[in-house]
Amino acid sequence: MFNGFRGVLYREINVFRKRAGKQILASSLSPLLFLIAFGWGFGDRVAVDGLPYITFLIPGLITMSSLNQSYGIAQELNITRFYFHVFDEYLIAPISHVEIVLGEAAYGMFKGLLSTALIFAYSVIFGVKLTVGPVFFLAILTHTFLFTTLGITIAMLVRDHGDQAAVNTFVITPMIFLSGTFFPVEKLPVVFKWLVYALPLTYSTKVIRAALTGGDVNMLYFMLMLGFAAVFFVAALRAVGRVEG
Amino acid sequence: MAVAERAGKVLEARGLVKKFGEKTAVAGIALDIREGDFTGLLGPNGAGKTTTIKMLTGLIKPTGGEIYYYGRDFFTCPKDAKRHIGVVPQHSNVDRDLTAYENLYLHSILHGIPKKRRREKIYEALEFAGLLDHRDRQVKTFSGGMKRRLVLVRALLHGPGILFLDEPTVGLDPQIRKNIWDLILKINQQKGMAILLTTHYIEEAEKLCRSTYIIDKGRIIIKGAPDDLKKDIGGYVLEIFREDGIEEAFFASKEDALERLRGCPHTCKVREVTLEDVFIKLTGKRINV
Repeated sequence: MFNGFRGVLYREINVFRKRAGKQILASSLSPLLFLIAFGWGFGDRVAVDGLPYITFLIPGLITMSSLNQSYGIAQELNITRFYFHVFDEYLIAPISHVEIVLGEAAYGMFKGLLSTALIFAYSVIFGVKLTVGPVFFLAILTHTFLFTTLGITIAMLVRDHGDQAAVNTFVITPMIFLSGTFFPVEKLPVVFKWLVYALPLTYSTKVIRAALTGGDVNMLYFMLMLGFAAVFFVAALRAVGRVEG
Repeated sequence: MAVAERAGKVLEARGLVKKFGEKTAVAGIALDIREGDFTGLLGPNGAGKTTTIKMLTGLIKPTGGEIYYYGRDFFTCPKDAKRHIGVVPQHSNVDRDLTAYENLYLHSILHGIPKKRRREKIYEALEFAGLLDHRDRQVKTFSGGMKRRLVLVRALLHGPGILFLDEPTVGLDPQIRKNIWDLILKINQQKGMAILLTTHYIEEAEKLCRSTYIIDKGRIIIKGAPDDLKKDIGGYVLEIFREDGIEEAFFASKEDALERLRGCPHTCKVREVTLEDVFIKLTGKRINV
């Protein structure tokens, strides 16, 4: 029972262990640059939604960075699937697709949570106080699960490396910049507002920011996050099944 | 089909079909593999060999047909069936970032080998492959032959009833190829495991396989023991080298072939029939093109 889950996780964690130094360094650099540029640049001279900008920014960086890491397993899956055919070993083993998806999802969540811990460390260095409660934990788990299952889905659906890069350029990067990571989405023109409210990151950012800064968490947004997570999980299962098609 | 008819059969496939859009890659293949069989699936590139293996091992779903392992339907109980399957794919799909030991450990988890037996079985497999001293090296540092040996013992680790070998020696130099074939023969003889092999190396397939299926354009065109298939077209072939190409004539005995050779104004050669000749006789083309 759960041999597939344990096997996939064993593989991913062992590979990660060998690249941990490089991976952690790479994932820590970009949020640090954002913090230096925008956090120190604007500091507490600028207030957004009643919060000093750096306090507003850090939850956004948490959602951005954890998304990058959780969704980023798509790139790794892509390489193992198309170039090294390692994924075939899972498909011919006596394990179910659910176990494969859950194993990969657990790894993606692990990476997302690691990057979250890094940003928390930055928040201490930058003197930003955050409120960490159960709602935040539930939200960050849902957020990382949601984006890692999206990553698995995309990795299984694309036909090559180029397609994967195109999805990153045309979907993921715009989503990161438009979904309230760096500024409140309410400031966007109406057309863009409609667009960003169709994107899951908007709800993740709002829920996580509210949970960390002591604001009111909109339960409808949290339910929408759970809804996106359920949809992407089913999509990931179907996408793995499609590989065998 | 009655249970008694299935007794001793490791694998039974009926009417296997695979279509990719409008293109039919496999058009109704039937196979029977019994315990200890060493069977070859031979044919030119694009004949449908790899697609057939992929369907039989669960890597792709067939468009139609039935597959049974030990009499049990592959599609209704895939987990059970996959426990009986060992696969050596065309590409050495070992994980290059993991060590040899870790690759086998991963396989042992996926195939549900009990934790307390894993280490012992892995060491045994590494020793069998001659890789015990390299167990803690990342596979990316391995040569092509070492990777193939690792893939081979990985496929055996969970004790499957049938081993699928899809072009297991393609791209390897002759010495390493021989080492791999020796290892495969040892597996068949010592472990009594059924083997289904696809290969381009027809001469090697002739030496190793006790039965063969010859496949072309997704269909099996003939099956039988290599010696029987060769006898059916005549044991000897006379090649006549004309200006416009090579003409081949088949004879039941060497004497008949030599008799025909007398007085031939062209360069001629008499040799024993090979499976390649069987294929040429049936399809008019070569397997190795």
